[in-house]
This record gives sequence, structure tokens and C-alpha cells, in this order.
Amino acid sequence: MSGRQRGSGMSNEVNRLLPRPLQVAVLVLLLAFVGGPVLYMVLASINSDLGVAAGEFWPRQLDPANYVRIWSTVDLGKGLVNSIVVAGATALACGLASVSTAYVLVRHAFLGRLTILRGLLALQSIPGTLMLLPVFVLFASLANILEITVIGTRWALFITYLTFALPFSTWIMVTYLRGLPRELDEAARVDGASSWRILTRVVVPLSWPGLVVACIFAFLLGWNDVLFASVLTNPDTRTAAVSLQVFGTSQEGGAIPLYGQLMAAALVCAVPVVALYLAFQRYLVGGLTAGGVK
Amino acid sequence: MRVTRTLAGLGTALLLAGIAACGGSSNGGGDATNGAGKTINVLIGVNNIYPDQQRKWFTDVSDAFKKDTGATVHFDTFASANDELTKIQTSVLSGQGPDIYALGTTFTPTAYATKAFVELTADDWNAIGGRDRFVPATLGISGPDKSHEVGIPFASRPFVMAYNKDMLAAAGIDKPADSWDGLLEQAKKLTGGGKYGLAIGYADSFDPWKFIWAMSVQAGNPLVKDKKAALSDPSTVKAYQTYLGWLATDKVVDPASVGWKNAQAVAAFGQGKAAFLPMVSASSKVTLDKSSVAGKYDYVTMPTIPPGMTSLGPGGVAATSILSGDNLVVAKYTKNKALVLRLIKYLTSAEQQDSYYKTFGELPTNAEEAKKLQSDPALSAIVESASKSVGTPFNGAWSQIQLALVDVVVQSIPSISKGQLNEAALNGLVQKAQSTAQSALDKAK
Amino acid sequence: MTGTEVVRRSEQTDRRAPDKPSRRSITQRQRPLWMLAPGGVLVLVVIVIPLLLALWISLLDLDQYSIREWIHAPFLGVKNYVEAVTDSDLLHSVWLSVFYAVLVTVVTTPIGIVAALATQQAFRGRGLIRSVFLIPYVLPAFVVGTIWRIILQPDGVANRTLGHVGIHPGLWLNGPKSFWTLVLIQIWASWPLIYLLALSGLQAVDPQVHEAAALDGADWWSKLWHIIGPYLRGPVALAMVIAFLHNVNNFTLPFVLFGVPAPDDVEVLPVLTYVESFQNFRFGLSAAMAVCSLVLVAIPIIVYLRAVRLDTADDPDTRRREA
Repeated sequence: MSGRQRGSGMSNEVNRLLPRPLQVAVLVLLLAFVGGPVLYMVLASINSDLGVAAGEFWPRQLDPANYVRIWSTVDLGKGLVNSIVVAGATALACGLASVSTAYVLVRHAFLGRLTILRGLLALQSIPGTLMLLPVFVLFASLANILEITVIGTRWALFITYLTFALPFSTWIMVTYLRGLPRELDEAARVDGASSWRILTRVVVPLSWPGLVVACIFAFLLGWNDVLFASVLTNPDTRTAAVSLQVFGTSQEGGAIPLYGQLMAAALVCAVPVVALYLAFQRYLVGGLTAGGVK
Repeated sequence: MRVTRTLAGLGTALLLAGIAACGGSSNGGGDATNGAGKTINVLIGVNNIYPDQQRKWFTDVSDAFKKDTGATVHFDTFASANDELTKIQTSVLSGQGPDIYALGTTFTPTAYATKAFVELTADDWNAIGGRDRFVPATLGISGPDKSHEVGIPFASRPFVMAYNKDMLAAAGIDKPADSWDGLLEQAKKLTGGGKYGLAIGYADSFDPWKFIWAMSVQAGNPLVKDKKAALSDPSTVKAYQTYLGWLATDKVVDPASVGWKNAQAVAAFGQGKAAFLPMVSASSKVTLDKSSVAGKYDYVTMPTIPPGMTSLGPGGVAATSILSGDNLVVAKYTKNKALVLRLIKYLTSAEQQDSYYKTFGELPTNAEEAKKLQSDPALSAIVESASKSVGTPFNGAWSQIQLALVDVVVQSIPSISKGQLNEAALNGLVQKAQSTAQSALDKAK
Repeated sequence: MTGTEVVRRSEQTDRRAPDKPSRRSITQRQRPLWMLAPGGVLVLVVIVIPLLLALWISLLDLDQYSIREWIHAPFLGVKNYVEAVTDSDLLHSVWLSVFYAVLVTVVTTPIGIVAALATQQAFRGRGLIRSVFLIPYVLPAFVVGTIWRIILQPDGVANRTLGHVGIHPGLWLNGPKSFWTLVLIQIWASWPLIYLLALSGLQAVDPQVHEAAALDGADWWSKLWHIIGPYLRGPVALAMVIAFLHNVNNFTLPFVLFGVPAPDDVEVLPVLTYVESFQNFRFGLSAAMAVCSLVLVAIPIIVYLRAVRLDTADDPDTRRREA
């Protein structure tokens, strides 16, 4: 994909959106803005804790052993597995649910459609701190009624994140699907295809870029949440973000904060997400032709 | 395209399997004392100074208890006091959660107020080996009175003050003062050349109220009496002026400490940048013994003569520390009370308390075991402080009052970092804290 | 059932379909409303029911004394709401939160759009740059807060570096400057949200549009404004709504940066409600505060939605014809 674009330099110039000097300036400025603190994190992760506490930027003493220690002190391995499983499942399920919901909302007129659309956005304005106790009570009651364990399992997190991610992901797909020409799925319908078939065979292949973004947001919601995860998990199902927080906040009462390990652990936690993004971003390119309409 | 779909399908299957892999793990029913197949859940603060040792301790306890009763002990940890509160609230509200909570002593009144924890009857006390197996002082914050107790003392963590012996000797000071005014004078002498007399964590979420409380109690004001708050009492205002003045006007504290939590104050002391480090527990020993002041420091009890006075105030108490440590409380919703009490009996037994002390450096609450440590010279200050600790007011509103006390310090930080201690502004903040505290007390039941 | 199974099954049913001569006309198309069901059930169970529960709690005198049997907590009616409005920091916090959320949204929007425009066409290293841009958004808010707290300590790296060039900024994490600290850090942490959505919007641009613009000889600005702009309108308007709401409800960042009790200048709404419920045990009062904020935030959002016609956007085909 990218090879083809690189090969045809001419069409690439046509695709240019910003004049080259402006583009370079923007990239440099933003890289500095983002990179500065990130560089500091990297340096702090190999610095001694006293050095970080003393406000050093360049470490005087290198201590790369932090990257080894975190696997036992932060319990990072288990956390990462839990996070990947929960956030990954959330992303996949959310992608599927949001594309089908959005498809119905965009392509079919029915009573209450606008209400649903607005309601979905309004749901985003509910503060998490308001929902924490009620969600917990609900899960606890469900567990009592159905006589199953809910709290402490990954299911509880999965269901919670899936639901909280759904409205936003649906909206992403709504805006994306609106940009797709109606003729394509109408043609399929004329051919007698069922709604499900149109969805999986026509709509989904065309909406990879939107779908990837919707999945990324669902994934990140699960990946970064601490509020719900901290009460809905136990040590075995704890996510990486909670492990980090547990490690970072439990240093009251005498110890020097273990900045180096915290930074190292945070960076290690960022790696899987960045890697996933790198893997999926080839779907983030290129307009309608990329999805394979041709 | 097909590859992608296969991959996606495979991924979905794996992830769903991953979720399912973690199904039911906890809780058994029934109530017989035979614990086979049952699980006791314990919530305890995470120990990051000794993470590996704590994990090993969890396994050891679980193994020993399994051998004894057949039941499994499952430990869950909380990271901070905030986490602890949230866990308590969600569990109480939903009626499910850990069977045993290891609570910071100051949260015991709050836990008591929820009525969600077992009030220990004489039989209950007997089941855990008798009330008199504990050091009497450690029972001081177990309940409002002897017949209504929920907290079982588990570990004692009194606060003391570390001091740098070399710095004091160099300044010709033979021992730390026993009054706050005297400490200030010494601190002034010790400040200079990039070093400071005191290391204080002004941005800590808990330290500030412990200072204000101690100075007030010593002057004769317990802050809460007969459901009346006394936060705007002159003795308390004086305490604030002293505590904030160290940085604002006396300048015996590193100006950067307006951003410090307790840990950073410990770090500064460990780098030899401060002579006194008040309000630390014995757990600071691990850090300090690895720092540049190893072997050059010692612990002593904090001053007990309130600021502006030469002896205890009228009705004052020579409190060296809040009654600090961990209490165990048992949730009323537990289905295995007999097993739970048996576990507590095991945890508070002399040999368990001994190994706990040896592993984590926290003082035993078991009287027999505590006696053994009394003669250890390295511990003298800490053991002394343990015996002179005083419980904070036993009221369900205490955590709100605590927060109100700290809020005064938080809102004063911008002005003290400019070197100002505005009396009118301070009075305004103290008044606000007083009314917050009083309205919380008015709601108390 | 896995995704692949579902697909395979539908293939089977589809293969049978042509046998039946049931070719529907397009106007009478079937409406697969059942596809809304899974999402609907989830939202109902995990959001709507807890929300109703929260509304109910906001009418109760629920505190540490009544929490165990919360169903029997005394009914207060609107008293919590009265207390929230008249006798708490609620209004101050609402003002802070809204002001801060608007500021952050207004600043991050152009940053995100420009970043998306700059990384749209392929160049060497684009994948890496796109990934780096994502990092602030990938780090948990707890970590972002911790890093910045370390950087902005009174004796931290920021003040030291600025001190070398003769600037002594003083306190970042308390006092009047703390508000701007919060704004700055939230900008740092949240602009990739707008960036990602703007980037996804750009993917919908038909490549022929570029060629047509090049043939017309349009300069870059008018190409952006007249041709690319309409594609971005929907995603960016959505991103702004979401960014605003996320900012208003952002709890972890101010909590980690400033701790509790929070300095007055950064006592934003989520922190206030958190402290009121989880520290002060005033669950009823806290729920009332949160509901007030919900109403105060939801109304402008609905007005905005109508104004940008996000939910009734024109058919894309007509839009393209206009362009």
C-alpha cells in the first residue's frame, strides 16, 4: 500500500494538503511538544530515583535495571495480559456492535432515530464518578440474583467498557458511514443481499479507516481506565493501569518514590498500544479505493 | 482480506477464551468451622517497601491456614487510603467483598459508623485469643467504648522523629528539644549552606493534620469534644501558625517542600539535606539505612510541649503520636465468621506477630511479643512513642474533619511559598474548616 | 460464537436466497432494527439503570450512617440539590470545569486538524510520527499526571531549566497558576483525540478530488477550505463535542496532579463530587452535584448539536455535488 504510494511520487504530490515548509514546521513543533516530556520519561526511567527527585534532566547515573525490576515489583506481566485481553475484547466487540448500529442509524429512517443519535452523545456527558457506585451495586445484585461471580472477573470490566465505549464508537461510525456513497449498498440490495450480508460484505470493507479509529478508542478506554477497574478487579484480574496506579500511589509512609521504575513501567505499558497502532494503521490510509471497491 | 478476517476471528476467539478463563474464583457457602473448600478474603494495604516479602507472607499465611482448617486465604491489596475508602464503600453498599479489612486506625471510626462491621462480643474476643492478649494502648481506637469495639489491633506504627546525629553534633546540640519552640530554635541553628533544620511534606494528604492535631492536643484541645468541633480554638490557630511559619517566616524548611509528600521529605533527609525529619514511622528505616545518612541518624519521640508554652497546656496530653497502625475489622456480611475469627487469632498470635515484625518492621500489638521488644535499644524511641500515642476522636465524622484540617494547609501554600503568613487569611480558612467540621459532626449519629 | 462463524452462517442463508423470487423494491427496504438490540440492551443495563439508581440516590440522605441499608436511607427530596447549589462549591466548580473544558477544546482542535493534514500524504517515517503523536493519549491519565507532577515540582526539571535562563515561575501545582497548568497538561494529553478523528475524516476524501483540485489549479488554502473542509466538518464537530465532554468529566488528571483536598483554583467538578462522595461519604449530595453538572453540560451540548446539524447532516452526495 505505502509502497505503491511511494512509487508514484506524482500522485503523492497531488495528495499534498499543506505546503511543504508549513508541513515540516508543524511536524517539528508537534514532535517537540509531544517528544519533550516523553524524552524526559525515557531518561527518568533509566535515572536513579534520587536524581529524578533532584530535578535532573540528563541522568548522572544510569540505572537500566529498572526495566528488569518492574516485572516483579509492579506485577506488570499479569497486568499487561489482563489489559490486552479486556481492552482487546472490548475493541473487537465494540467495533462490530458500533458498525452495525451506525449502519442502521445512517441508512434507515425510522421513528426515534434522531433521539437515539442525540441520546448517544448525551450519554457521554455522564461523569464516571457518578456511575461508579451504581454500576457496582448493579453488578453485585446481578451476581446475587444469578448466583454467579461478577465483580472481580474480567467479564465485569469487559461489559462495562464495551457499554461506555459504544456510544462514541457508534458516532464515529455514523460520521464515517455518512461519507460513503449510498449507491454501493443500494446496488447490493437490489441484487437481493440481506442486511447482514450488505453490512459484512459491503459496509465493513469500505469502512476500515473509521472502524480502526472506533476500535482504537474503545481499546484505549479499557486500557486507560482506573476508576472502574480499581473496584471491579482483584489482584488476579487487575489491569496494567491499575497496577501502575497501585505501584505509584502506595509509596506513602517512608520510601523514596520509585520514579525510575514507575516511568519504565509506564513506557513498557505504552509499547503494546503503539505497536498495535503501527500494525493497524495501514488501514488508516487512503480513501475509498483502499478498502477494495475496485 | 481473508487473512485479516481469519486473524480477527482467531483474535476474537482467543480474547473471549481469555475472559472466560477467569471465571468464578472466590467464595464458598455454608458456615461450619471446617474450612475445606472455603475462601477467606482479606483486604490489606500494599507494602511497596517489601513487595516480595509481602507476597511471600500472603502465601505463607494461606498455606498455614489451609493446613490448620482447610480453608484458603485470599489476599487483596489497596494502594492508598483513597482506594481503601472506595473499596469499603462499594463493599458495604453492595453487601459483598472482603471478609476481613486491615484498616488504618484513623478509619476505624468511619468503619464503625457504617454499622457494617462485626461488633465484637465477649465470645468473639475469646475466639481470637482474648482481649487481654493485646497491648492495652493499641485498643484505644477499636471502638467508642469497651463494649462497642469493631477493630482488632494488628500492627502498631507510631510516629517519631528522625534526626541527623552528625549535623546536631556539628552545631553543638546534644539532643533534640522536647518542645516545639525549642525544636524551632535548634532548626534555625541548623539551617544554612543549602541545608535545612526540618524536612516537612507540606503537600502530603495526611501529614499536616497529624501535626495540627498533636500540637492542639498537647495544648489541651482534642479538636472534637461532645460533638462540638474546636478547630478555630486559639491553640489550633497557633498550631497552624507554627507549622506554616516554619516555611513562611522562620525559613527552616526547604522552600521546595510546598510540593513534597512525606516520601520526598524522607528523601531529603536521606540525602543529608535536613537535620530533623518529624512524623515518620519505623518503616522509614529501610530507606534511610540505604541512604547517605545510614548509621548517622537516630529516632526520638516528637516534642510534646505545645508551641508558645513551656509545659503542657491546661488539660493537655503529652501525645507523641496519633494512635497509628492497622486494625482488623470483620464484615457483617461474611459467611464464615468462625473461620475469620480463627484466622485473626492466628494473625495476632505471638509467633505470627514476631515474624510480621521481623519481616516488615511494624510493631506487634500482641502483649507477650511487645514485651520482648521493649528492651531493644534500637527501638526505644519507637516503643516509647507507641506507649504515649493517643487515639484521635472516635467519631464517624472524623475523616471529614481530617480533610478539613488538611484543606487549611493546602489553601495556604501559595501564600507561604511567597514567605507570607497572613493572619486574616488563615483565620478565614480555619473558620471555614470549623464550620465544615461542625456540620459533619451535626450529621453524626 | 466467533465472528467467522457468524459470517459463514450468513453465507449459507444467502446462498439460499436467490431461489426465492423475493426481490424487494428499494423503497420498501427491510429495516434491520434488530441490529440495534445488542447495543441497546447493554446501554440500558449498564448505563440507564445505574443512572436511574444515581438519580434516586441524589434524593436520599445517603452517608456513612445509612450506606449499609441504603434502600432505607431517609428520603430528602430536593434538599440535596438545594444544598449543592446554595451551600457548596458547586457553582464555582462548574464554572472552572466549563471554562477549562472550553479552553482545552478550542486549543486542541486546530492542533489536531493541522497534525492530521500534515501526516496525511505518505512520506518516509510517517508511521513513526503518527505513532509518536499517539503517545500522550496512550499513556494512562494517572501516568501523565505523575510525570507532569514530577516535572513541575517546585525544585523539578521545569523550574530548574527555566531558572538557567533567569525565569523563576514559582508554584505550578498550587495557587493561581495551577489552573493554567491543568489546561496545558490536558492539551498535551488530549489533542490526539481530535487528531485521530480528523485523520479518519481525511480518509473519506475521494482520491479523484485531489486530482480534480490539481487540474483546477486550486491553491492549497482554497483546496483545504472548499474541498477538504466539508469532509472534516462531521468528524471534527464530533471530536469537539467528545473532547469537551471528556474534559469536563476528567477526574484522574486533576486528582493525580493536585491531590485532595484540591487547591481552590483547580477544584473542578469531578474532583468535587469525588471528594464529596468517596472522602466525605455524602453520596446523596455528591450525586445531586453530578446530576446538576449533567444538566448544565447536556443542555449546551444539545444546542450545539442542533447548531452544527451533526445529527441531521446533509446527505454526502449532495455535499459532494456542491463542492
